[in-house]
Amino acid sequence: MLHYVTVNIDGADIKAPKGSSVLEVAIEYGICIPHLCHVPGLSDIGACRLCIVEHVTNGRSQVTTSCTLKVQEGMVIRSNTDRIKRLRHNIAELLVAEAPNSRAIQDIAVRCGVKKVRYPFRNSNCVLCGRCVRACAELWHANALGFVGRGKDRHVERPLNMRQEFCKGCDYCIQLCPMTITPCDGPMKPGEEYLCGKCESQLMITEEVPDSCAWCRLGEGFNCGRYAGVKS
Amino acid sequence: MNLSKLESILKGRSSQPHQLIEVLHDVQEHYGYIPEEAMREISKTLGVPLIEVYRVASFYKAFKLKPTGKYVITVCNGTACHVRGAQLLLDQATSQLGIKPGEVTDDGMFSIEHVNCLGACALGPIASENGTLGHHMTPAKLRKLINSLNREVKKEVKHA
Ligand code: SF4
Ligand code: SF4
Ligand code: FES
Ligand code: FES
Repeated sequence: MLHYVTVNIDGADIKAPKGSSVLEVAIEYGICIPHLCHVPGLSDIGACRLCIVEHVTNGRSQVTTSCTLKVQEGMVIRSNTDRIKRLRHNIAELLVAEAPNSRAIQDIAVRCGVKKVRYPFRNSNCVLCGRCVRACAELWHANALGFVGRGKDRHVERPLNMRQEFCKGCDYCIQLCPMTITPCDGPMKPGEEYLCGKCESQLMITEEVPDSCAWCRLGEGFNCGRYAGVKS
Repeated sequence: MNLSKLESILKGRSSQPHQLIEVLHDVQEHYGYIPEEAMREISKTLGVPLIEVYRVASFYKAFKLKPTGKYVITVCNGTACHVRGAQLLLDQATSQLGIKPGEVTDDGMFSIEHVNCLGACALGPIASENGTLGHHMTPAKLRKLINSLNREVKKEVKHA
């Protein structure tokens, strides 16, 4: 039997199944918390930090990633405070500087209110979200790729000819990778990166037509326009 | 590669994934690096996916994925050694041996490593040869050390 606990997210008391994460519960209920590395059905590793929320206990609040935070009875969560918006804005800005060639990440940046990028573009091909690695290991038990190295040398690799040996050809690693769809105008060359922001026009629609979000499949019922006017 | 040693390392540890690091340590100690065959064997015996074995082996500096030279010159580049001129030592070693840190000389005799602190900061700067620490190193001292090792190498070649 499922056990339920009651958590309060952004003022709403929500009955949530025990064992689920705050992010899952919020999305299910219709509160949009931007996220990147979370994939429904895969384990959460808190890699992208986009899904941060404030967890309030005894009047003190602690910023933590909601995808790795399990619901507890009486929990109080704030997902849209000024502090969170500011921090999330910064995280999105860093992400888009790291990987401007990902449409998903460009979209997230717009959604989190990034208007200009103050960091040098690095244009790397991977944001280390670990979606591919977890899909490969958890959905297919193939274990054909993984993180190798550490610190700034950490990267995704299939060493020792693992592709031939273990890969089951499911293509999930590619489908789930945020890097596989480039911005609408095509890939940007190193040195010519920019904040795309094209989807901002759609954001205007979102503000005018509540309950329609142009960005995520889960977006029906969300009004992400609330992330638009964030001051940096 | 001599598999009997690997067998004895793995003995009594089958299906114990938590033994992974211990096993890697033993393999590193015996073979001087972690050979691919060993990783495959470890993966099978402990029941850890091969990529996990590789990931752990690539994560820690204590594990080498490639064979090292017979003589490993390790230069400490920790803060204490750094401010006392560790870079000069590294320059000396790299120019004298003609290889970069992490590489092995063509004859397989020397390799150079750099680490972040060997735990003997007060005696810095430190350069070690196969684990034997040389304290208060200077480029001149290091040059002499490498020269004497070179003479050893020549002697060995003659005797062989
Ligand atoms: S295509 Fe191969 S590497 Fe990619 S997730 Fe599937 S099994 Fe893993
Ligand atoms: S390759 Fe793609 S999915 Fe895998 S970690 Fe990098 S960005 Fe994420
Ligand atoms: S979705 Fe929670 S850290 Fe990426
Ligand atoms: S810094 Fe070199 S031994 Fe500590």
